[in-house]
Amino acid sequence: MSKRAGNSVGVNASQKGAVRSSHWKPLVLGVVALCVLCVLGLAIGAISIPIADVLRAVSGNGDAGTVAIVRELRGPRVLLAALIGAGLSVSGGALQGTLRNPLAEPFLLGVSGGAAVGAVAAMVFGATHPLAVTLAAFAGAAVATITVSLVARVVAGRTDARMLLMAGVVVGAFANAVIMVALAGAPAAELRGALWWMMGSVSDATWGDVGRLAVAVLVFGGALMWLARELDVLALGEEPAAALGANVDRTSRQIFLLASFLAAATVAAAGLVGFVGLVVPNIARALGARRHRPMLVVSAVYGAALLVFADLVARTARTPQELPLGAITALIGVPFFLAQLRRLH
Amino acid sequence: MTSRVLLLALVCSVVACAKSETNTDSANRPPPLGRVPADTDDFGALLPVDTLAGARVVSLVPAATELIYAMGRGNRLVGRTTWDLFPDSARLVPNMGDGIRPNVEVVLAAKPTLVVLYASMANKAAADAFANAGIAVMSTRVDRIADFERLSRQLGVVLNAQQRAQQVVDTVKATLASVRDAVDGVVRPTVVWPLYDSPVMVLGHGSFVAELLDIAGATNVFADLAKPSPEVTIEEIVKRNPDFVMTSPVSAMRFASSAKWKAVRAVREKNVLLVDTLLTGRPTVTLGMAAVSLAKVLHPDRASRLP
Repeated sequence: MSKRAGNSVGVNASQKGAVRSSHWKPLVLGVVALCVLCVLGLAIGAISIPIADVLRAVSGNGDAGTVAIVRELRGPRVLLAALIGAGLSVSGGALQGTLRNPLAEPFLLGVSGGAAVGAVAAMVFGATHPLAVTLAAFAGAAVATITVSLVARVVAGRTDARMLLMAGVVVGAFANAVIMVALAGAPAAELRGALWWMMGSVSDATWGDVGRLAVAVLVFGGALMWLARELDVLALGEEPAAALGANVDRTSRQIFLLASFLAAATVAAAGLVGFVGLVVPNIARALGARRHRPMLVVSAVYGAALLVFADLVARTARTPQELPLGAITALIGVPFFLAQLRRLH
Repeated sequence: MTSRVLLLALVCSVVACAKSETNTDSANRPPPLGRVPADTDDFGALLPVDTLAGARVVSLVPAATELIYAMGRGNRLVGRTTWDLFPDSARLVPNMGDGIRPNVEVVLAAKPTLVVLYASMANKAAADAFANAGIAVMSTRVDRIADFERLSRQLGVVLNAQQRAQQVVDTVKATLASVRDAVDGVVRPTVVWPLYDSPVMVLGHGSFVAELLDIAGATNVFADLAKPSPEVTIEEIVKRNPDFVMTSPVSAMRFASSAKWKAVRAVREKNVLLVDTLLTGRPTVTLGMAAVSLAKVLHPDRASRLP
């Protein structure tokens, strides 16, 4: 996409000021909420730890049990939850922009189905090591993403938004059928493990998971932020974007692949955590972040905060059990989303 | 591989036991030896009351399969499940699947006169189909030690092996009593017994394994949870702070290398007791030996008093 095209949809200085101020406040609020939730996430659980002890444990001081809880149990899961929330939200925001459809989300485009096929296949064939499941899930999501992209290109001759959605739904349905066949004959323990994975959880988070997902979020999320101006142009519609000099086909394909791989990385890390990629970008827009770069930034922060909060609820609402993270995100997000509908409208 | 399969069988067994708690009162009062009264099985169907001459048995309950061999009636078996690996000769019997939602046609093709299956709702339709085909059906839950005794008596009648059944039951009960005596008066350590890692599931209340643990002189920190294999968080295990973690050698290696499990004091301090899951995974004729093996690892100072 030409530089001219990107600049041509820019706004004048006073408009820029208004836009910045409109998203600045929610962004600051989101960052504060995220920080508070992260501290609470480290302090609250089956064993409540005073904030002062949490801070000491973070630096490795205090009794061994507290240090282990903060640094090995809660630390990785809080950060992993934040990264998953940020990744899914940025992915959803980018897909909604490039497909010009506020209902688009990564899981609608076959990513979740492909990842689930990979993970379930690994578990059913005995590869239950977390890293093996993670790699299999990412591989499955990548294959599904590329398949959807190729199908849309072959059928429509280009990366057509409607065709992407249709191909995504079909690939997702096929993946569901494969999962049902695989699970129909699976032993009870593998079945339970697979279902638990599909409901999403960060209970097995390790620093390795955090590191891998952080790299994915930085690479794919960073690339999407870089393409945010192009997203602004695509949001005008295919013909206006082309008239402004945009290579609509190539840019749409790039954004689709980047957003899908970002979602695939989050799914590989913690299973299927739905709803976040759909709702959070819409909330970010409702809070005033209209252009794509600020919208993606606000989405990342709010998505991270939502997931950290959801995980906190998941592990404290029904102790000693843990609830599935995907269910909690929906239970928290749906009422909030409904409350925002008027503003969205 | 074998130990993994057994662990899965254990998990299946204790998970299924969660639904059986309302039936355990009757299980605790086994009928007198020698005859099965006009009683019903765990689906409420009438049990076969007479000896089935020349019975051809499909056993879809691993504990029953092993018991049938112990009663000297292994030659009657014409079908078993994937999990029936004991004794070795059981592997020669045709495999008819995992015992849950059995393929009715495959079982009927073996021309059985008796089908023993686990009384879970997933098997109800198959049990009805076998009964409609004129086959004697024994739908049973074998989750507790009393269930094993009850099943022994019922199979003893049907397979005309009452005396052998009585011997098996008496031997198991005598061994359990000996273990109970041997650890009498010991300080009972608190333990956690993880059964599955993701999600974390531990031994709770209401299974034969929980009973064995109690007989062997330990206190399960999750005995207050009604489910036989409840899901819990690692933090809850940290909070309950057991003296020991009981697990298989394979899982012990995993715990030792896992950062999250090191939050548990017993794991950090290497207080991990290795369990012979080949023995503890089956509520059958090996129950006594399982109790002995558990008592040995929990109370090595009492080993000389154990059978």
